[in-house]
Amino acid sequence: MDMNDVIGYALRIGVLISISLIIIGFILLSTTPQFSELTSPNSRFNTSVVKPEEVFRGIRKGNGVDFILLGLMVLIATPVVRVVLGIIQFAMQRNVIYVIITLIVLFNLLLAIFILPLII
Amino acid sequence: MMEVEFLILLLISSIIAGFLGSLTGLGGATVLVPIYTLFLGIPMAYATGASLISTIATSSGTASAYIKDRITNVRIGMSLEIATTGGAIIGSLLAHWIYEHHLVFILFIVFGVVILSSVYPQIEKSSLELPKPMKPDWTTKIFQLYGEYYDAALRQEVKYYGVRWWLGEIVMFFAGLISGLLGIGSGALKVIGMDWAMNLPLKVSTTTSNFMIGVTAATSSSLYWLFGYIEPALAGITAVGVIIGSYLGTKVLVKTRNTRLRLIFIIILIFLGIEMIIRGVSLWT
Repeated sequence: MDMNDVIGYALRIGVLISISLIIIGFILLSTTPQFSELTSPNSRFNTSVVKPEEVFRGIRKGNGVDFILLGLMVLIATPVVRVVLGIIQFAMQRNVIYVIITLIVLFNLLLAIFILPLII
Repeated sequence: MMEVEFLILLLISSIIAGFLGSLTGLGGATVLVPIYTLFLGIPMAYATGASLISTIATSSGTASAYIKDRITNVRIGMSLEIATTGGAIIGSLLAHWIYEHHLVFILFIVFGVVILSSVYPQIEKSSLELPKPMKPDWTTKIFQLYGEYYDAALRQEVKYYGVRWWLGEIVMFFAGLISGLLGIGSGALKVIGMDWAMNLPLKVSTTTSNFMIGVTAATSSSLYWLFGYIEPALAGITAVGVIIGSYLGTKVLVKTRNTRLRLIFIIILIFLGIEMIIRGVSLWT
Protein backbone atom coordinates (compact mmCIF):
# COMPACT_ATOMS: atom_id res chain seq x y z
CA MET A 1 0.00 0.00 0.00
CA ASP A 2 1.18 3.50 -0.89
CA MET A 3 2.25 5.67 2.03
CA ASN A 4 -0.12 8.41 0.82
CA ASP A 5 -3.01 6.01 1.30
CA VAL A 6 -1.78 5.08 4.78
CA ILE A 7 -1.79 8.78 5.69
CA GLY A 8 -5.24 9.29 4.16
CA TYR A 9 -6.68 6.38 6.14
CA ALA A 10 -4.93 7.46 9.36
CA LEU A 11 -6.55 10.90 9.13
CA ARG A 12 -9.96 9.47 8.38
CA ILE A 13 -9.78 6.89 11.15
CA GLY A 14 -8.62 9.55 13.63
CA VAL A 15 -11.61 11.74 12.82
CA LEU A 16 -14.06 8.82 12.96
CA ILE A 17 -12.79 7.65 16.37
CA SER A 18 -12.90 11.18 17.71
CA ILE A 19 -16.43 11.92 16.46
CA SER A 20 -17.68 8.58 17.83
CA LEU A 21 -16.19 9.32 21.26
CA ILE A 22 -17.76 12.79 21.25
CA ILE A 23 -21.20 11.42 20.33
CA ILE A 24 -20.99 8.66 22.97
CA GLY A 25 -19.96 11.37 25.43
CA PHE A 26 -23.02 13.47 24.68
CA ILE A 27 -25.33 10.48 25.05
CA LEU A 28 -23.84 9.60 28.44
CA LEU A 29 -23.82 13.25 29.50
CA SER A 30 -27.45 13.92 28.60
CA THR A 31 -28.75 11.90 31.55
CA THR A 32 -26.63 13.68 34.17
CA PRO A 33 -27.11 16.99 36.02
CA GLN A 34 -23.79 18.15 34.55
CA PHE A 35 -25.48 18.40 31.15
CA SER A 36 -27.19 21.76 31.67
CA GLU A 37 -24.09 23.15 33.33
CA LEU A 38 -21.89 22.40 30.32
CA THR A 39 -24.33 23.16 27.55
CA SER A 40 -24.95 26.82 28.26
CA PRO A 41 -23.17 30.00 27.19
CA ASN A 42 -22.24 30.52 30.84
CA SER A 43 -20.31 27.27 31.22
CA ARG A 44 -17.21 27.71 33.34
CA PHE A 45 -15.48 24.50 32.36
CA ASN A 46 -11.72 24.92 32.39
CA THR A 47 -9.52 22.54 30.43
CA SER A 48 -6.37 23.94 32.04
CA VAL A 49 -6.97 21.76 35.11
CA VAL A 50 -7.82 18.58 33.19
CA LYS A 51 -5.20 15.87 33.54
CA PRO A 52 -5.01 13.01 31.00
CA GLU A 53 -4.98 10.33 33.72
CA GLU A 54 -8.24 11.71 35.15
CA VAL A 55 -9.81 11.51 31.71
CA PHE A 56 -8.89 7.84 31.41
CA ARG A 57 -10.22 7.16 34.90
CA GLY A 58 -13.46 8.94 33.94
CA ILE A 59 -13.78 6.81 30.81
CA ARG A 60 -13.79 3.63 32.89
CA LYS A 61 -16.55 5.11 35.06
CA GLY A 62 -18.59 5.96 31.95
CA ASN A 63 -18.28 9.68 32.56
CA GLY A 64 -19.69 11.59 29.55
CA VAL A 65 -17.46 14.66 29.76
CA ASP A 66 -14.36 12.49 29.74
CA PHE A 67 -15.52 10.73 26.58
CA ILE A 68 -15.90 14.13 24.91
CA LEU A 69 -12.50 15.25 26.21
CA LEU A 70 -10.84 12.07 24.94
CA GLY A 71 -12.53 12.63 21.57
CA LEU A 72 -11.06 16.14 21.44
CA MET A 73 -7.62 14.80 22.42
CA VAL A 74 -7.77 12.22 19.62
CA LEU A 75 -8.70 15.02 17.22
CA ILE A 76 -5.70 17.13 18.29
CA ALA A 77 -3.44 14.07 18.08
CA THR A 78 -4.50 13.22 14.51
CA PRO A 79 -2.32 15.89 12.81
CA VAL A 80 0.59 14.86 15.07
CA VAL A 81 0.29 11.28 13.82
CA ARG A 82 0.09 12.66 10.32
CA VAL A 83 3.39 14.52 10.75
CA VAL A 84 5.09 11.43 12.20
CA LEU A 85 3.89 9.39 9.19
CA GLY A 86 5.27 12.18 7.00
CA ILE A 87 8.73 11.69 8.52
CA ILE A 88 8.54 7.95 7.76
CA GLN A 89 7.40 8.68 4.22
CA PHE A 90 10.29 11.06 3.51
CA ALA A 91 12.77 8.69 5.16
CA MET A 92 11.58 5.91 2.83
CA GLN A 93 12.20 8.23 -0.12
CA ARG A 94 15.66 9.08 1.32
CA ASN A 95 14.72 12.74 1.07
CA VAL A 96 17.08 14.07 3.76
CA ILE A 97 16.12 17.72 3.62
CA TYR A 98 12.42 16.88 4.01
CA VAL A 99 13.07 14.52 6.90
CA ILE A 100 14.75 17.46 8.64
CA ILE A 101 11.94 19.88 7.71
CA THR A 102 9.26 17.50 8.98
CA LEU A 103 11.21 16.92 12.18
CA ILE A 104 11.19 20.69 12.77
CA VAL A 105 7.40 20.75 12.30
CA LEU A 106 7.06 17.85 14.74
CA PHE A 107 9.28 19.71 17.19
CA ASN A 108 7.01 22.79 16.98
CA LEU A 109 3.96 20.62 17.63
CA LEU A 110 5.55 18.85 20.60
CA LEU A 111 6.77 22.20 21.90
CA ALA A 112 3.17 23.41 22.01
CA ILE A 113 1.80 20.16 23.47
CA PHE A 114 4.41 19.10 26.01
CA ILE A 115 7.15 21.68 26.56
CA LEU A 116 5.32 25.03 26.77
CA PRO A 117 2.86 23.68 29.40
CA LEU A 118 5.83 23.05 31.67
CA ILE A 119 7.07 26.62 31.28
CA ILE A 120 3.81 28.57 31.43
CA MET B 1 -35.27 22.26 28.33
CA MET B 2 -33.14 25.31 27.61
CA GLU B 3 -29.97 23.32 27.16
CA VAL B 4 -31.38 21.11 24.40
CA GLU B 5 -32.52 24.19 22.47
CA PHE B 6 -29.10 25.74 22.90
CA LEU B 7 -27.41 22.55 21.68
CA ILE B 8 -29.61 22.40 18.61
CA LEU B 9 -28.86 26.06 17.91
CA LEU B 10 -25.13 25.31 18.15
CA LEU B 11 -25.45 22.29 15.91
CA ILE B 12 -27.40 24.19 13.24
CA SER B 13 -24.96 27.14 13.33
CA SER B 14 -21.97 24.86 12.97
CA ILE B 15 -23.57 22.86 10.14
CA ILE B 16 -24.22 26.12 8.25
CA ALA B 17 -20.69 27.32 8.97
CA GLY B 18 -19.18 24.05 7.77
CA PHE B 19 -21.36 24.09 4.67
CA LEU B 20 -20.41 27.64 3.67
CA GLY B 21 -16.80 27.05 4.63
CA SER B 22 -16.37 24.04 2.42
CA LEU B 23 -18.14 25.67 -0.52
CA THR B 24 -15.76 28.60 -0.46
CA GLY B 25 -12.61 27.01 0.87
CA LEU B 26 -12.42 29.46 3.75
CA GLY B 27 -13.18 26.91 6.44
CA GLY B 28 -16.08 27.02 8.86
CA ALA B 29 -14.44 29.16 11.52
CA THR B 30 -14.66 32.39 9.57
CA VAL B 31 -18.42 32.53 10.02
CA LEU B 32 -18.59 30.38 13.13
CA VAL B 33 -16.81 32.70 15.56
CA PRO B 34 -18.91 35.78 14.64
CA ILE B 35 -22.16 33.80 14.94
CA TYR B 36 -21.13 32.39 18.33
CA THR B 37 -19.90 35.64 19.81
CA LEU B 38 -22.38 38.10 18.29
CA PHE B 39 -25.60 36.09 18.37
CA LEU B 40 -25.24 33.22 20.84
CA GLY B 41 -23.46 35.10 23.63
CA ILE B 42 -20.54 32.70 23.84
CA PRO B 43 -17.32 34.23 25.21
CA MET B 44 -14.67 34.89 22.55
CA ALA B 45 -12.14 32.50 24.13
CA TYR B 46 -14.56 29.53 24.06
CA ALA B 47 -15.81 30.41 20.56
CA THR B 48 -12.28 30.49 19.16
CA GLY B 49 -11.31 27.32 21.06
CA ALA B 50 -14.29 25.43 19.61
CA SER B 51 -13.61 26.73 16.12
CA LEU B 52 -9.96 25.61 16.27
CA ILE B 53 -11.11 22.11 17.18
CA SER B 54 -13.62 22.07 14.33
CA THR B 55 -10.90 23.28 11.97
CA ILE B 56 -8.79 20.22 12.74
CA ALA B 57 -11.79 17.99 12.15
CA THR B 58 -12.59 19.39 8.71
CA SER B 59 -8.98 19.59 7.62
CA SER B 60 -8.26 15.98 8.57
CA GLY B 61 -11.59 14.81 7.18
CA THR B 62 -11.13 16.37 3.76
CA ALA B 63 -7.32 16.12 3.53
CA SER B 64 -7.56 12.36 3.18
CA ALA B 65 -9.72 12.78 0.08
CA TYR B 66 -7.46 15.44 -1.41
CA ILE B 67 -4.29 13.40 -0.81
CA LYS B 68 -5.92 10.62 -2.79
CA ASP B 69 -6.50 13.02 -5.68
CA ARG B 70 -2.75 13.76 -5.67
CA ILE B 71 -3.36 17.50 -6.15
CA THR B 72 -2.10 18.42 -2.68
CA ASN B 73 1.65 19.00 -2.68
CA VAL B 74 2.69 17.37 0.57
CA ARG B 75 6.30 18.58 0.30
CA ILE B 76 5.39 22.23 -0.19
CA GLY B 77 2.77 21.99 2.55
CA MET B 78 5.16 20.43 5.03
CA SER B 79 7.94 22.93 4.31
CA LEU B 80 5.56 25.83 4.94
CA GLU B 81 4.30 24.30 8.15
CA ILE B 82 7.55 25.26 9.83
CA ALA B 83 6.34 28.84 9.60
CA THR B 84 2.63 28.27 10.28
CA THR B 85 3.22 26.19 13.43
CA GLY B 86 5.76 28.73 14.68
CA GLY B 87 3.29 31.54 13.98
CA ALA B 88 0.50 29.57 15.65
CA ILE B 89 2.51 29.29 18.87
CA ILE B 90 3.23 33.03 18.95
CA GLY B 91 -0.39 33.83 18.01
CA SER B 92 -1.84 31.63 20.77
CA LEU B 93 0.47 33.13 23.38
CA LEU B 94 -0.53 36.59 22.15
CA ALA B 95 -4.23 35.67 22.40
CA HIS B 96 -3.68 34.49 25.98
CA TRP B 97 -1.95 37.76 26.85
CA ILE B 98 -4.86 39.71 25.33
CA TYR B 99 -7.45 37.75 27.36
CA GLU B 100 -5.42 38.12 30.56
CA HIS B 101 -5.35 41.87 30.09
CA HIS B 102 -9.07 42.10 29.20
CA LEU B 103 -8.33 43.54 25.77
CA VAL B 104 -10.72 41.26 23.90
CA PHE B 105 -12.01 44.21 21.84
CA ILE B 106 -8.74 43.98 19.88
CA LEU B 107 -9.65 40.46 18.77
CA PHE B 108 -13.11 41.56 17.61
CA ILE B 109 -11.63 44.34 15.50
CA VAL B 110 -8.82 42.20 14.06
CA PHE B 111 -11.34 39.47 13.30
CA GLY B 112 -13.58 41.94 11.48
CA VAL B 113 -10.68 43.24 9.43
CA VAL B 114 -9.53 39.71 8.54
CA ILE B 115 -13.06 38.75 7.41
CA LEU B 116 -13.44 41.86 5.29
CA SER B 117 -10.03 41.39 3.70
CA SER B 118 -10.90 37.82 2.76
CA VAL B 119 -13.77 39.18 0.66
CA TYR B 120 -11.43 40.41 -2.05
CA PRO B 121 -9.95 37.03 -3.01
CA GLN B 122 -13.50 35.66 -2.99
CA ILE B 123 -14.47 38.11 -5.72
CA GLU B 124 -11.21 37.62 -7.58
CA LYS B 125 -11.22 33.83 -7.46
CA SER B 126 -13.51 33.15 -10.39
CA SER B 127 -11.21 34.87 -12.90
CA LEU B 128 -8.03 33.00 -12.00
CA GLU B 129 -6.41 30.58 -14.44
CA LEU B 130 -3.06 28.87 -14.17
CA PRO B 131 -0.27 31.23 -13.05
CA LYS B 132 2.15 32.75 -15.55
CA PRO B 133 5.38 30.79 -15.24
CA MET B 134 8.21 32.56 -13.45
CA LYS B 135 11.90 31.68 -13.62
CA PRO B 136 12.76 29.02 -11.04
CA ASP B 137 15.02 30.36 -8.31
CA TRP B 138 17.43 28.71 -5.90
CA THR B 139 14.64 27.74 -3.52
CA THR B 140 12.78 25.86 -6.25
CA LYS B 141 15.60 23.32 -6.41
CA ILE B 142 16.63 23.11 -2.74
CA PHE B 143 13.10 22.73 -1.41
CA GLN B 144 11.87 20.68 -4.39
CA LEU B 145 8.94 22.98 -5.05
CA TYR B 146 7.51 21.18 -8.02
CA GLY B 147 4.87 18.67 -8.93
CA GLU B 148 2.17 17.75 -11.37
CA TYR B 149 -1.49 16.89 -11.23
CA TYR B 150 -4.32 16.07 -13.57
CA ASP B 151 -6.71 18.99 -13.96
CA ALA B 152 -10.16 17.57 -14.64
CA ALA B 153 -11.56 20.94 -15.75
CA LEU B 154 -8.73 21.69 -18.20
CA ARG B 155 -8.46 17.99 -19.11
CA GLN B 156 -4.70 18.02 -19.05
CA GLU B 157 -1.73 17.09 -16.91
CA VAL B 158 -0.46 20.28 -15.29
CA LYS B 159 3.23 20.54 -14.42
CA TYR B 160 4.14 23.37 -12.09
CA TYR B 161 6.86 24.68 -9.85
CA GLY B 162 7.00 27.21 -7.05
CA VAL B 163 9.40 30.09 -6.46
CA ARG B 164 10.33 32.46 -3.57
CA TRP B 165 10.04 29.90 -0.79
CA TRP B 166 11.23 32.49 1.72
CA LEU B 167 8.39 34.88 0.81
CA GLY B 168 5.92 32.02 1.22
CA GLU B 169 7.37 31.33 4.67
CA ILE B 170 6.92 34.96 5.72
CA VAL B 171 3.26 35.02 4.63
CA MET B 172 2.72 31.64 6.32
CA PHE B 173 4.15 32.87 9.59
CA PHE B 174 1.45 35.56 9.65
CA ALA B 175 -1.18 33.05 8.59
CA GLY B 176 -0.18 30.91 11.58
CA LEU B 177 -0.14 33.94 13.86
CA ILE B 178 -3.67 34.98 12.82
CA SER B 179 -4.80 31.38 13.18
CA GLY B 180 -3.52 31.18 16.75
CA LEU B 181 -4.84 34.63 17.59
CA LEU B 182 -8.37 34.24 16.22
CA GLY B 183 -8.92 30.49 16.27
CA ILE B 184 -9.44 30.23 12.53
CA GLY B 185 -7.62 28.20 9.90
CA SER B 186 -6.71 31.38 7.98
CA GLY B 187 -7.00 29.48 4.74
CA ALA B 188 -7.33 32.72 2.75
CA LEU B 189 -3.90 33.93 3.88
CA LYS B 190 -2.38 30.52 3.25
CA VAL B 191 -3.73 30.53 -0.27
CA ILE B 192 -2.26 34.01 -0.82
CA GLY B 193 1.09 32.69 0.43
CA MET B 194 1.17 29.95 -2.18
CA ASP B 195 -0.76 31.57 -4.99
CA TRP B 196 0.73 35.07 -4.89
CA ALA B 197 4.11 34.60 -3.21
CA MET B 198 5.11 31.23 -4.63
CA ASN B 199 3.24 31.35 -7.96
CA LEU B 200 1.55 27.96 -7.56
CA PRO B 201 -1.68 26.97 -9.38
CA LEU B 202 -4.80 27.78 -7.40
CA LYS B 203 -5.93 24.16 -7.14
CA VAL B 204 -2.60 23.19 -5.59
CA SER B 205 -2.74 26.21 -3.25
CA THR B 206 -6.23 25.55 -1.95
CA THR B 207 -5.82 21.81 -1.39
CA THR B 208 -2.37 22.21 0.14
CA SER B 209 -3.69 25.01 2.36
CA ASN B 210 -6.44 22.70 3.56
CA PHE B 211 -3.86 20.02 4.31
CA MET B 212 -1.78 22.47 6.37
CA ILE B 213 -4.64 23.92 8.39
CA GLY B 214 -5.01 20.81 10.56
CA VAL B 215 -1.41 20.85 11.75
CA THR B 216 -1.53 24.61 12.40
CA ALA B 217 -4.78 24.33 14.35
CA ALA B 218 -3.49 21.36 16.37
CA THR B 219 -0.59 23.50 17.54
CA SER B 220 -2.87 26.31 18.72
CA SER B 221 -5.52 23.97 20.15
CA SER B 222 -3.12 22.30 22.51
CA LEU B 223 -2.14 25.74 23.86
CA TYR B 224 -5.79 26.81 24.03
CA TRP B 225 -6.43 23.62 26.00
CA LEU B 226 -3.65 24.57 28.38
CA PHE B 227 -5.10 28.07 28.85
CA GLY B 228 -8.56 26.61 29.53
CA TYR B 229 -10.28 28.01 26.44
CA ILE B 230 -11.81 24.75 25.26
CA GLU B 231 -15.29 24.04 26.52
CA PRO B 232 -15.89 20.33 25.84
CA ALA B 233 -19.62 20.40 25.07
CA LEU B 234 -19.29 23.45 22.83
CA ALA B 235 -16.17 22.19 21.05
CA GLY B 236 -17.62 18.69 20.69
CA ILE B 237 -20.92 19.75 19.15
CA THR B 238 -19.14 22.24 16.90
CA ALA B 239 -16.75 19.61 15.57
CA VAL B 240 -19.63 17.26 14.77
CA GLY B 241 -21.71 20.04 13.19
CA VAL B 242 -18.93 21.43 11.03
CA ILE B 243 -18.05 17.96 9.76
CA ILE B 244 -21.67 17.33 8.75
CA GLY B 245 -21.85 20.77 7.13
CA SER B 246 -18.65 20.44 5.17
CA TYR B 247 -19.66 16.98 4.00
CA LEU B 248 -22.92 18.42 2.66
CA GLY B 249 -20.92 21.27 1.14
CA THR B 250 -18.68 18.96 -0.86
CA LYS B 251 -21.76 17.09 -2.15
CA VAL B 252 -23.35 20.32 -3.34
CA LEU B 253 -20.09 21.70 -4.69
CA VAL B 254 -19.76 19.11 -7.42
CA LYS B 255 -23.34 19.65 -8.59
CA THR B 256 -23.70 23.42 -8.70
CA ARG B 257 -22.10 26.31 -10.49
CA ASN B 258 -21.72 28.29 -7.34
CA THR B 259 -21.55 31.90 -8.50
CA ARG B 260 -24.80 32.82 -6.77
CA LEU B 261 -23.78 31.01 -3.60
CA ARG B 262 -20.51 32.87 -3.67
CA LEU B 263 -22.33 36.19 -3.88
CA ILE B 264 -24.49 35.28 -0.89
CA PHE B 265 -21.39 34.26 1.01
CA ILE B 266 -19.64 37.53 0.20
CA ILE B 267 -22.63 39.47 1.55
CA ILE B 268 -22.61 37.37 4.73
CA LEU B 269 -18.89 37.98 5.15
CA ILE B 270 -19.23 41.75 4.74
CA PHE B 271 -22.11 41.83 7.23
CA LEU B 272 -20.28 39.74 9.84
CA GLY B 273 -17.02 41.64 9.36
CA ILE B 274 -18.69 44.98 9.97
CA GLU B 275 -20.63 43.59 12.96
CA MET B 276 -17.41 42.29 14.53
CA ILE B 277 -15.72 45.67 14.15
CA ILE B 278 -18.74 47.47 15.61
CA ARG B 279 -18.77 45.08 18.58
CA GLY B 280 -15.05 45.59 19.07
CA VAL B 281 -15.31 49.35 18.99
CA SER B 282 -18.28 49.35 21.39
CA LEU B 283 -16.37 47.12 23.84
CA TRP B 284 -13.44 49.48 23.62
CA THR B 285 -15.23 52.74 24.34
